[in-house]
Amino acid sequence: MIPARLAHAAVRVAAALGLTAAALGVTAAPAAAAPQPMGRCTTTSGVVLAVDFSDWGGPLFRSCGTAPTTGYELLNQGGWRTTGTGHDGPAFICRIGYSGYKNGKQYPTPGEDDCVLTPPASAYWSYWHADPGTNDWQYSQLGAMLYKPKPGSVDLWIFGGTNIEGTEGRPTVTPDQLRAHNTRPQGGGTRPSSTAKAPPLPPDVDTGPAPERRATTPAGSGSPKPEPKEPKPSKSPTPSHTAGPTDSPSAQAAPSPKTKVVDAAPAGEAKHDPGSIVPVAAGVSLVALIGAAAAFVARRRRRTE
Amino acid sequence: MTAVARTTVEPAAAPSAPRPDRGGRRLPRALHPVAWWVWALALATAVSRTNNPLLLFLVLAVLGYVITARRTEAPWARGFAYYLYLALTVVAIRVVFRAVFATGITPRDHFLFSLPHVPTPDWYAGIRIGGPVSLEALLSSATDGLRLACMLCCVGAANTLANPKRALRVLPGALYELGVAVTVAISVAPQLVQSVQRVARARKLRAGRAQGMRALRGIVVPVLEDALERSLRLAAAMDSRGYGRAGSATRRSRRATGALMLLGMCGLCTGAYGLLDATAPAFLGIPAMTVGAVLCVAGLRLGGRRVTRTTYRPDPWRLPEWAVAGSGVLSAVLLFTDLGYDPAQLNPTFYPLTWPGLPLVPTAVILLAGTAGFLAPPPGPVRKADAS
Repeated sequence: MIPARLAHAAVRVAAALGLTAAALGVTAAPAAAAPQPMGRCTTTSGVVLAVDFSDWGGPLFRSCGTAPTTGYELLNQGGWRTTGTGHDGPAFICRIGYSGYKNGKQYPTPGEDDCVLTPPASAYWSYWHADPGTNDWQYSQLGAMLYKPKPGSVDLWIFGGTNIEGTEGRPTVTPDQLRAHNTRPQGGGTRPSSTAKAPPLPPDVDTGPAPERRATTPAGSGSPKPEPKEPKPSKSPTPSHTAGPTDSPSAQAAPSPKTKVVDAAPAGEAKHDPGSIVPVAAGVSLVALIGAAAAFVARRRRRTE
Repeated sequence: MTAVARTTVEPAAAPSAPRPDRGGRRLPRALHPVAWWVWALALATAVSRTNNPLLLFLVLAVLGYVITARRTEAPWARGFAYYLYLALTVVAIRVVFRAVFATGITPRDHFLFSLPHVPTPDWYAGIRIGGPVSLEALLSSATDGLRLACMLCCVGAANTLANPKRALRVLPGALYELGVAVTVAISVAPQLVQSVQRVARARKLRAGRAQGMRALRGIVVPVLEDALERSLRLAAAMDSRGYGRAGSATRRSRRATGALMLLGMCGLCTGAYGLLDATAPAFLGIPAMTVGAVLCVAGLRLGGRRVTRTTYRPDPWRLPEWAVAGSGVLSAVLLFTDLGYDPAQLNPTFYPLTWPGLPLVPTAVILLAGTAGFLAPPPGPVRKADAS
């Protein structure tokens, strides 16, 4: 009787666990976004992500992601990783790191900003968009988790300060220096080495659909209409001025007065160390020890009074 | 001064001679209230630096130990439990707000449960209500709330350990009337409790068995009468001791005092603004703060000149006071210097889930603040004059 009941309970628990795992799996499944080599981004498909590490002596990295995605997902794939603040959670981008740069070290470092409260307006990652076809930056009106980049647009993260009018602290690079100028994807053979988010698209999509269709089909699946309105053929008539070969990770793109633009290939995740439980055990036992001492003192006081 | 203090304390300690070894051979006496306040505020400052749950719990444990070991039996010394309830409420509110006003969940987070999502229009897309809640969000909001709760408990510890009436004595002379008013105000509640207890005892002796509203009438009227009588007596006593006299201030000196204080306060406000806003011009920061502080001190000095008074049985400031205040200040200073530890360990992140570390120096620093439990002299037996 009892073993039967136990077995029943075990089955039920296992089922519940399985359901939880399934739920976890479902929530953990990424949206239809994937890191791509830089050459896969074209004028009308894919989104170029650019992050400026020049404050720490680094280059300006740019990489490519497929279109129906949020700014947050774009910044958290292919080796990119962000940290939020303790107060506002992961939605407030406080640190950015790329596993191909300094072993995935995230900037600003904990010594520069503890990322507990909102960073000061003089030193934070500001978020800029350039829609397809336009050549000026627009300060993002939405957070990274809410903004959905349009296919063919450029997302730029620069560190520093801005003022309310948006006249100070604007990016020094232009969108044209960063955006993809090829009309069709290049270098489709190289699959990214990233295992974190394998691209859901088959690797041979480059042969089939025209850029227009690629831009519109994903947009129909729920995201707000990112219809590119610019005249496409007139915009990119010269495929010769392409973003360079995708196989080399450090291709010099358009020259900029200060910052060097480097293509960041999709990379694996930087290793995460969950730490050890020993400090926690030590801390808890220390707290218990002090608590016991307090209880002892309280008892002695009560006895003497 | 010290001789006076000794002679007043010793007879009080004599009846409780069989107290064996509470703090060695030291005479029981109350620590200077300002020493407790400095210790507690310094500890609160140290707490504001860290977000590490282990260190925060350690601070709570240290507070609990010091309070158990060194609190008196006075009415205000029994209130720490209420501060703990308040702290729990703070943590709960923080967690609930974080869950309701969702801050987004990432695919890497551990999904816990989902609240019903309230859709907001596009032009209001910055705020999301409801939605999935992750373990990381709950943990980080709980530690965030715990930090505020810890600071609240530090202030609560100061209120529990220090005698508020004696603390008001150190107010500068210019704020003398304010101090008197606050002293009278904070003695009202304990006096009311005493009145109620006395009236209830008297009713019991007379076998009054009325319940409900009728009993209330039987209690309220005598208590109010008692309170009125007491205040009349207090007013007469204060009047005969020279409280409330106009002093020798001329109209001009009063105006000068007012102007100095007002300008000084403006300077302090501007300075605080300048320090907090990184884009403000440099002269608005420390210089404005300094000028404001100097003006305030001058105003207080000028205003205090018209109040000349002597102190009856002043609180001594001796070695234990230096030690307690010093241990608190030293811990705050050490936690802000980043000496010998990685500042990242003070603010561990829960994205992705990581066990918090226990950095050695900050732990030692918090334990150092806990030595106040040994450094302070044991509390004296409660005196009727303080308890009422």
